[in-house]
Amino acid sequence: MSTHGTTGRFQREELVGKYLTFALGNEEYSVPVLKVREIIKIMDITAVPQVPEYVKGVVNLRGKVIPVVDLRLKFGFPAQDYTERTCIIVVEVALATGARMMGIIVDHVSEVLNVAAEQIEQTPEFGDEIQTDYMKGIAKVQGQVKILLDLDRVLGVDGTIAMPQPSAA
Amino acid sequence: MTTRKSSSKPRAAKPKAKPRVAAKAKASAPKAKKKTPKATPTVSVAPAPVAPEPVIEAPEPVTASVAAPIAAIADFVVDDDTELAVVQSDAELANLFIAEALDHLGTIEQKLLELDERPEDTSLLNDIFRPFHTVKGNASALGIVSVERVAHKVENLLDLARSGRIQVGETEVDLVLRAVDVLSLMINDVGQRLAGQPRKATGAEAVSLVQQVERLIAGQLEEGAAAAAAVMDTPEPVAVAAADEPAFEHDRRGATPSRRRDDVPMLAGTATAIKVDTRKLDNIVDVVGELIVVQSLIAQDPALSALVDGRLARNMAQLRRLTADLQRNSMALRMVPIRQAFQKVARVVRDQSRKAGKPIDLVITGEDTELDRKMVEEITDPLMHMARNSVDHGIEPPDAREATGKPARATVSLSAYYQGSHVIIEVKDDGAGLNTERILESARRKGLIAPDANPSPEDIHRLIFEPGFSTAAKVTEVSGRGVGMDVVRRNIESLRGRVDIRTEQGHGTTFLVRLPLTLAVLDGLLVRVGSERCVLPAAAVRESLRPKPEHVHFVQGQPRMVQVRESVLPLVSLGALLGMGAAAALDPSAATVVVVEEGGSRIGLVVEELLHKQEVVVKSLGDSFATVRGVAGGAILGDGRIGLILDPHGIVTMVREGSRRAA
Repeated sequence: MSTHGTTGRFQREELVGKYLTFALGNEEYSVPVLKVREIIKIMDITAVPQVPEYVKGVVNLRGKVIPVVDLRLKFGFPAQDYTERTCIIVVEVALATGARMMGIIVDHVSEVLNVAAEQIEQTPEFGDEIQTDYMKGIAKVQGQVKILLDLDRVLGVDGTIAMPQPSAA
Repeated sequence: MTTRKSSSKPRAAKPKAKPRVAAKAKASAPKAKKKTPKATPTVSVAPAPVAPEPVIEAPEPVTASVAAPIAAIADFVVDDDTELAVVQSDAELANLFIAEALDHLGTIEQKLLELDERPEDTSLLNDIFRPFHTVKGNASALGIVSVERVAHKVENLLDLARSGRIQVGETEVDLVLRAVDVLSLMINDVGQRLAGQPRKATGAEAVSLVQQVERLIAGQLEEGAAAAAAVMDTPEPVAVAAADEPAFEHDRRGATPSRRRDDVPMLAGTATAIKVDTRKLDNIVDVVGELIVVQSLIAQDPALSALVDGRLARNMAQLRRLTADLQRNSMALRMVPIRQAFQKVARVVRDQSRKAGKPIDLVITGEDTELDRKMVEEITDPLMHMARNSVDHGIEPPDAREATGKPARATVSLSAYYQGSHVIIEVKDDGAGLNTERILESARRKGLIAPDANPSPEDIHRLIFEPGFSTAAKVTEVSGRGVGMDVVRRNIESLRGRVDIRTEQGHGTTFLVRLPLTLAVLDGLLVRVGSERCVLPAAAVRESLRPKPEHVHFVQGQPRMVQVRESVLPLVSLGALLGMGAAAALDPSAATVVVVEEGGSRIGLVVEELLHKQEVVVKSLGDSFATVRGVAGGAILGDGRIGLILDPHGIVTMVREGSRRAA
């Protein structure tokens, strides 16, 4: 998988703004605050059959049925028991079939961050092993690297939850 | 005039020089032989001095544009960005315009089809002109120039027709119908562009349409050669000649009253109706659904039930009644008459009958039958496809029909009625019926069934719903590609409906579509599968039982059959089938067997536990789970968690396919 797609899309100015950062294992990821609808504590999730392992099922968000994806599993981290700090971040993603609310399970939510242009860098080329399609770039903030996620790509291809295989391959 | 080969009919034979001059003369034209004036490029003898009827909206001065030369393409290439910017500046207004305009175009289409039946009814022309004028006016006010220009040209034509300066026949109706299509496309495109989609190329179509309109106007006004050219531009109207025969006049009468009837409720309805964004309705339904959940949470709260208080109990009962009432009412908000879908089908039948050269009467009944708005939208395509199939495959050519002693004019009827909590929609033709042998032969050839299989006629007929099946000898524009009927079935099944066929060779075919009234509420039976609770639609559940061990029969060490009284049913573990929980090893005599009947076949589903009956509000799981089989949606249960709603038909199909694979 080459990363030329990323190169073509990289627009530093577009990426400037507020981000919600969260942790998966020891890594810090972030999504634009404008995409975030709310953050809820982990709750009972109704499993749906015949879906990839990382699709945990559906939850009832005030009368709306929303699918929930475990980002740990999606990105190939080992599964982990949910804790007090485990959160579902409800985000709005643009799928081929229109905007849709979805939940992503993360280890814990960290903070809201202002990312300036000079902090943003293009996703480096990792070679073939790591797919960078779903990274818009990286931000270096106080010595730490936060990965800026492209949620529309992470959560949906062709409007289904059948997503490209995660980086762990 | 008994010529039947209409396409070869010499036009000169038509009563070309009917002295139809003014609107008055036209209105009083004899009602018999309704179709006679159709497709006849009847030309007004004296076009000029016509006293036009009093006009409600002040029309544009039409004479100027009539004289204008054929439209230049440049006139219709509108600066994209300017137009888009104008629209985007007030997106809400633009969306309102789109909704309204499409609505108007729907009305126009309906009236055009009526006009097609009764070209002498000039009041219909007014009914068509008015909404057209509104659409044009609104487009102009909003600055959607491309739409306005096209609408303007067609309006000219309509205005001339209204004032009796041109005759309305089949050609004109066809052209205006096309205009409706083109305008719908353009207006939808405006909506798409608002939503950020790229522009579709509708310009060429618009230009060709406008050119045709102008040619038609010019031709009609100038007579002679130009008229012929205009006619040649439109599809050859084939189905005309047979209409001249008075013998079938009463058939046409049969179709007419059903159309007339719907005028009344339409008028009565508009007086008290308001337009509401459907998302607002859906939000109400969502919130009411939540309200019900919270109400039942409170009602069942142990702290509250510990209190013994007469007044509290009364008030709680009152609250329950009111919430239930609110739910029923909010559901009713989404119900609309099926008319809109039928209208589209009527259009398809009309167009297709022309194209195929098969004169057809369409009889519509029950267009006021109400069902869920979404249902009406979703059922339109399958109905259109079935109607097309009936016209294309079911109905024989007129001469073949006469050879078998049937009237040359075929009848297609479309009806809707309630049956319990379901709506039945019938698409019926009096054509040749399904050819059982040919279907069987074709299915064998295509390997859809085993060569030695000997299915019943019903099973054979159902084969036409199999993917990849088509008996059409030639591939036409609409059918014969082997896609279609399987999609029809799939679409109907996704609406929790069913489609059946009744057919009699030589006498016709009826497609029976059975749909639930609404997709929003479901009478369900809660069962436990693995660690999840699932909802089985109660309509599909026949009974539930805990079989005696001796009634469970094993095949290859697995419990695969259960005896229920006299019959032996296949036994399937629901958990294992769907891939939920480790229910594969479940002992049926220790668990519960729910007998589900779907499409005539019964199976026993093994579930961990039968919980209770409950009416649930159905929610879609969304596109993300579109590929999940056996699951129809989600329901928010009493405790706020979601239970999966199972799809009996999908489950039965999965079982069948599973055993077919194994075989």
